[in-house]
Amino acid sequence: MALDLSMLNRFAVTFQKNDIMFCEHEPGDTCYLIQTGRIQIVKIMGDIEKIIDILYPGEILGEMAILEEAPRSATAIALDKVTALEFNRENFDVLMQGNPQIAFKLLKLFTKRIYDQKRRFMILTLDDVQARVADVFLMLAETQTNADPNKDERTFNTTIDDIAHWAGMTTDNCRQVLNHFASQRRIEIYPDKIVVKNINDFARFVSSKRKSKVE
Amino acid sequence: MPKAAAYKSNSIVYFKGDNNDKVFLLKSGKVSMKYNDIETGQEMYDLIQTGEFFGVKSALGKYPREETAVVLQDANMIVFTVPEFEQVVLNNTRIIMKMLKVFSNQLRRIHKQVQDVLSTDEQSDNSEAGLFGVGEYYLKSKRYAQALYAFRRYLTYYPSGAFAQQALLNIGAAERFVKSGGGQQAAAGASAAAPAPRQSEEEMSGAAQRFYNGVSLFSQQKYNDALAEFKAIITEGQDAEYVAKSLFEVGRCLYAVGELDKCIGHYTTMIQRYPKHPDIVEALFYVGSCYEKKGDAGKAMGFYKKILSMAPEDAPVSRKARKAIGALEGK
Repeated sequence: MALDLSMLNRFAVTFQKNDIMFCEHEPGDTCYLIQTGRIQIVKIMGDIEKIIDILYPGEILGEMAILEEAPRSATAIALDKVTALEFNRENFDVLMQGNPQIAFKLLKLFTKRIYDQKRRFMILTLDDVQARVADVFLMLAETQTNADPNKDERTFNTTIDDIAHWAGMTTDNCRQVLNHFASQRRIEIYPDKIVVKNINDFARFVSSKRKSKVE
Repeated sequence: MPKAAAYKSNSIVYFKGDNNDKVFLLKSGKVSMKYNDIETGQEMYDLIQTGEFFGVKSALGKYPREETAVVLQDANMIVFTVPEFEQVVLNNTRIIMKMLKVFSNQLRRIHKQVQDVLSTDEQSDNSEAGLFGVGEYYLKSKRYAQALYAFRRYLTYYPSGAFAQQALLNIGAAERFVKSGGGQQAAAGASAAAPAPRQSEEEMSGAAQRFYNGVSLFSQQKYNDALAEFKAIITEGQDAEYVAKSLFEVGRCLYAVGELDKCIGHYTTMIQRYPKHPDIVEALFYVGSCYEKKGDAGKAMGFYKKILSMAPEDAPVSRKARKAIGALEGK
């Protein structure tokens, strides 16, 4: 989808690496269309900084504050030097009316975000910590579109920190669970990756825990 | 072409878990969505209104249906493929905007649910405590630039809030760390803060500390104490950054204690001596307010109008000025 955004250059803003673009709970009335650089979306939950997403050029952020006039639901931090187009409530409507393709793209983006968030929430509804960690691997496996579905073994280039984030637990607790899985030979932990020996075994394990919760 | 379809009562449009990329528009009849609440697993029902689209999310997001669509009363609908649906809504941005609002609301709800599971404290309901909490987290993680951002924002929105004093203390602490090169993000922190002249650390942190102490006193409405603090910083003249900041604060103190003439005089001198002072437009607003309080509407109006010609249209101070002008004109 090629969009000519050159006439929108008067809305351009720049952020330096590590700058906070906006902060969770802050009232906000601007949204951004990223042109260059990456942005990390995080939420502070208790003592954990949870990485919700990493956004790339072409993506939109901050639109929820505009659509609903509610405080920011997450914090946006520039991972690189970022250039973006900044819109407020008035010119956001103008942008959407004048560029229905952008509005439609945003609609699609929302469907994906809602699905992803629900999937993440499913992990957190599990009481059993082992099941939570196993479900994180299942969630990650669902996004591996190029993996061979007939193979039981899956490789994840994910850090323990990330898995702890998704599972909503501290890194130490998460490491304990992973070590336990490793001692059962269900996974192998390497410095740069984690290999799950049988993803279907994890799927059965999680589904049994989920059923027992509903009953 | 979108197709018309008729469904008998008790039939199923699609089942939960189906992979189906169609979008439906209900023209007549009754359709109910049956699904399980993601938190409790409880069975839930939502009735679709006539004229409403359904099946949009899973079709656009290309994921399995999350609910079963049951026909309760003979129904007529129009069935769209995703490209057909796209065509229709691209010509009617209003529909997209409406859906965006609904989806945005759902997303916020699920964010909230995630948050509620992860944190048992009550911060999630309270933006004020939440914003302060974010600052605390970054301060603890030694990410001072981020901490400074959060605390400064806190003070912008809640200058006399419950955590204002602690936020001030934390800003002082974070600034000292940034200036001494501590923390992971020292470089970014320094660029985010106003450029400070090079002086020894001791002197800078002293002036900063006094300045924030002054701001704290001000927020406690101890204006005369605050005034003394700011004046002392100016007299010492150790740190140009805080001298400039204090000059502005002195005016605010004078305004707060009702010394209108002194306030006007102070800001007039400040504007003449520092025509590039970062708070100059705010200062003009105070001067305008002083004249208004003194009953000189004409002069007040002149200052408010001057603000509009200097500040960007959407700056908070412009909004305040417009409001003040509106109020004066209404009289």
